[in-house]
Amino acid sequence: MTLLQRMDRLVYATRLDRIIFMKFQPRTFRWSPLLVMAVLVVGYVLMARTSSSPNRSFLIGSTLFYGAFIVAVFLRHFGPAAASRSLDERELVVKSRAYAISGIVFASFAMMSCFYMAVASAGLWGLWQPHTISDWITLGFGFQAAGNLLPTWIASWLEARPKADDED
Amino acid sequence: MTILYNRIAVFRAERGVSRRELAETVGVNNQTIGYLERGDYKPSLELAMKIAAYFGVPIELLFSFRPFESVADTLRRAAAAGEPQ
Repeated sequence: MTLLQRMDRLVYATRLDRIIFMKFQPRTFRWSPLLVMAVLVVGYVLMARTSSSPNRSFLIGSTLFYGAFIVAVFLRHFGPAAASRSLDERELVVKSRAYAISGIVFASFAMMSCFYMAVASAGLWGLWQPHTISDWITLGFGFQAAGNLLPTWIASWLEARPKADDED
Repeated sequence: MTILYNRIAVFRAERGVSRRELAETVGVNNQTIGYLERGDYKPSLELAMKIAAYFGVPIELLFSFRPFESVADTLRRAAAAGEPQ
């Protein structure tokens, strides 16, 4: 058996083919996206507090933040709003509704953030705003992670709970 | 919101077809057949016609805006109609 054949067998033996070719049923994540979002926020706060002079707290913050970032990618991949899997008409309806709602939430959040930044940059009430390059870049990644989590979370709630006999 | 009743489960049971078989034939996830049977999802016209074609019946025998008569009532009515006068 050649090396390529062995590697091919290994893919099927480890069931990696199910992930690569998206042969699995999507899972609903009704609460975990909220937890991941909370970890992202905590990680970001820890990083932003010490971004000018990184210390242990910065390291913990970045571990939490980027750990949550990776988890967010996985949740989207395995969730009902997955981008790369072929979906039937019901799943497409759920996915489009989830993305439509996410778009509205994001637009509202972007608007509120602009208002907040306007007040913060005017120096009113001592509000915090991103200062360093690291603050801004991490914020960008945070938005990307939220962009993965929000549709997954909304689609999970839009999906009716499957019944045990659905797998006959 | 209008309720769309269906008899997919009845036809499936009568023909001995599993959800998976029906789902594969009409090109949907087998969970979607479960959602359809429970009325949690209204199919597109295309999907409804595919399911009707699979069972070889007119679409109105499978889907209706009014509740279908129960199988027991249908049998009772059929038995009454078949009784000698």
